[in-house]
Amino acid sequence: MTVTIRVEQLTKQFVLHNQGGVALPVFRDLKFEVAAGEMLVLHGRSGVGKSSLLRMLFGNYKPSAGHIFIQHLGEMVDIASTAPRTLLEIRRKSIGFVSQFLRVIPRVTAVDVVRDRMLARGVDARLATERAQVMLERLNLPSRLWKLAPSTFSGGEQQRVNIARSFVDPAPILLLDEPTASLDPANRDVVIQLIHETRQAGHTLVGVFHDQGVREAVATRTLDLTHSDRAAR
Amino acid sequence: MSIAKSSQADRADYNFAYLDEQTKRMVRRALLKAVAIPGYQVPFGSREMPLARGWGTGGIQITAALLGPTDVLKVIDQGADDTTNAVSIRRFFERVASVKTTTATGDATIIQTRHRIPEQPLQTGQIIVYQVPQPEPLRGLEPREEETRKMHAWAEYGLMQVRLYEEITRYGQAATTYAYPVLVNNRYVMSPTPIPKFDNPKMDMMPALQLFGAGREKRIYAVPPYTSVKSLDFDDHPFTIQQWEKPCALCGSRSSYLDEVVVDDRGGRMFICSDTDYCGGNVTDVASEEASA
Amino acid sequence: MNNQLSAPEKELLRVEDVTRLYGERAGCLDVSLSLWPGEILGIVGESGSGKSTLLRCLAGIDPPTRGHIMFDSGKGLLDIYAVAEPDRRNMMRTAWGIVHQNPRDGLRMAISAGGNLAERLIDRGDRHYGRIREVARDWLQRVEIDPARMDDKPRAFSGGMQQRLQIARVLISEPRLVFMDEPTGGLDVSVQARLLDLLRVLVRDLGIAAIIVTHDLAVARLLTDRLLVMKEGRVVEHGLTDQVLDDPHHPYTQLLTSAVLAA
Repeated sequence: MTVTIRVEQLTKQFVLHNQGGVALPVFRDLKFEVAAGEMLVLHGRSGVGKSSLLRMLFGNYKPSAGHIFIQHLGEMVDIASTAPRTLLEIRRKSIGFVSQFLRVIPRVTAVDVVRDRMLARGVDARLATERAQVMLERLNLPSRLWKLAPSTFSGGEQQRVNIARSFVDPAPILLLDEPTASLDPANRDVVIQLIHETRQAGHTLVGVFHDQGVREAVATRTLDLTHSDRAAR
Repeated sequence: MSIAKSSQADRADYNFAYLDEQTKRMVRRALLKAVAIPGYQVPFGSREMPLARGWGTGGIQITAALLGPTDVLKVIDQGADDTTNAVSIRRFFERVASVKTTTATGDATIIQTRHRIPEQPLQTGQIIVYQVPQPEPLRGLEPREEETRKMHAWAEYGLMQVRLYEEITRYGQAATTYAYPVLVNNRYVMSPTPIPKFDNPKMDMMPALQLFGAGREKRIYAVPPYTSVKSLDFDDHPFTIQQWEKPCALCGSRSSYLDEVVVDDRGGRMFICSDTDYCGGNVTDVASEEASA
Repeated sequence: MNNQLSAPEKELLRVEDVTRLYGERAGCLDVSLSLWPGEILGIVGESGSGKSTLLRCLAGIDPPTRGHIMFDSGKGLLDIYAVAEPDRRNMMRTAWGIVHQNPRDGLRMAISAGGNLAERLIDRGDRHYGRIREVARDWLQRVEIDPARMDDKPRAFSGGMQQRLQIARVLISEPRLVFMDEPTGGLDVSVQARLLDLLRVLVRDLGIAAIIVTHDLAVARLLTDRLLVMKEGRVVEHGLTDQVLDDPHHPYTQLLTSAVLAA
């Protein structure tokens, strides 16, 4: 199996300058690898740093020390030290982040939100629309909503639009941050199914799931983060 | 060309053609530079003349710097040889230079003009001197002299074309009818002075030398013979000149610029040539044809 | 090993140690940055932090006291203050554009909306009235102004329309780089949202680079790829926009991000 994520000596602490410079250690000297076709589930109690780690893999949070190698166009690139524009390029082509929240942009329709990424990658507009609609249908979003801007949707509807846009043309590496939280069982099963399909297609998935049932249904491996900050204390 | 003292004994207190030789030299230097850079406004040391500024002092200074004893001078104002301004200037040069004067366009070597170009085409060897009230074509668009000079220097004439765009948008055609801006030698945008746009095409490739003098604004510019002078326009809204439904009421010309003249107190009016010499010539021709018939 | 991965494109703008002093007071100090084609850079900071001063230096309006600003208008990187003034003016008109906070600073208020757009096309050499009208009409539609208003003067427009017209006037000459100074500054929140979305789409569709000065972190989040945080004339933090806003390291950035609601 090809390793697509390799984390070495990863250390993260937050320093709150406006609260007396207090330092909050999250983890220290973390080391793991993930390969294509895996679904690695991050595990641990609330506050252990699961979401922080996920965000670091996406380059959203900066490591305090260490390396995060991400496979990008056949090479392993350390996003802890790469230039910002290279990281942007990596996000465009190699890695995606799925949260339960949709960042809504006024006036952009649901279909446009879903096909946006495909268009940016140069997929034909008609094909992109078609695929977007199929995906929205799978996630049980009523077709009357497709041409509306999701800013008016309910939280659950927005969440499904967000999942659709992430899975319709998934990046080689997908990071999932509680994508199934607060979904009804039917839609949750669709997401589980999507995760399976994506993994079997050779993508690398790393995720955080609150729901134990989902965790067990999707995980090929689990990384427990409990006590990973211990060395720092 | 200049002969220091004229033979006219009763005007011995003046130098020939009023201006002293140093001043003439200064004006000629400005003229040479102006001819060398067609359409470019050359500053010069405009002198006080025995005439108020704004009455053609720029043109008079150029004429004075050009005149020699053998020149034949014609002066017109709005096309006419017999209006006050034209008569005064003609008399002035008769006195201070004792040159021959004429009203016949073809006989003149130098023609000083305000607001018109004669209808009869000018020839090689002739010089036409325009009186210029405002030499800066960009003035109405950009009040700062420093900025207009930069615009000329860098040929930034977009705004000029925008004005034309606005006129076409508002009136369906270019609304400027006189002092219609021209591009000289594909380089400088120039004000042709307040001549009707009817006269603009005459400036293009004219065999005669065209000189422009602004006394109050202290600028001289020129268009050498056979120089391209294009009126600004759009490809799909080409430049056009005025046309009249009726011919001249006096001579019957259909090709000249007509003035509207009110003839009585009841609103009666007629259209006649603004160029009096041209009109008179046509009338004479018609009369002699009738006589010989 | 990751150096080869940076896209082969060349920098569009390179800024080296730019300092602008006003007497003893510093407008901006030792600012360096690079911008690549298609990139959107945000500059945030509170009033007086030097962001507008920096923008004026970069946009060719105000020369820096020290440092170099180099721009590639197709002939490689050239110091914009070292080239001849006509070349710089030409660059300012064709290769880059400035969207001012107050549309009055970027529009000719006495000339019709169509005339404002026509000027840029005429500058470029267009001399066909009908075609100029066509292109101008198309641009009015792109910025969501009813083409029926084409011959009205901008002073008859609402603030949002004026701002959209200004943006069209800048983009119509197809610049490679656009500077925006608080582009949504004086607008109502609902009008702002519409404008932001419009900018986002236009900038992406045209592939132009932009530098946006704003004090609004939500605007920065929505529009920019990268962010510079300025304080007292200096850049105190820079990086990817979401990195800077979600995981700020400098005390000032932490203060800035914690002072707003859900940026």
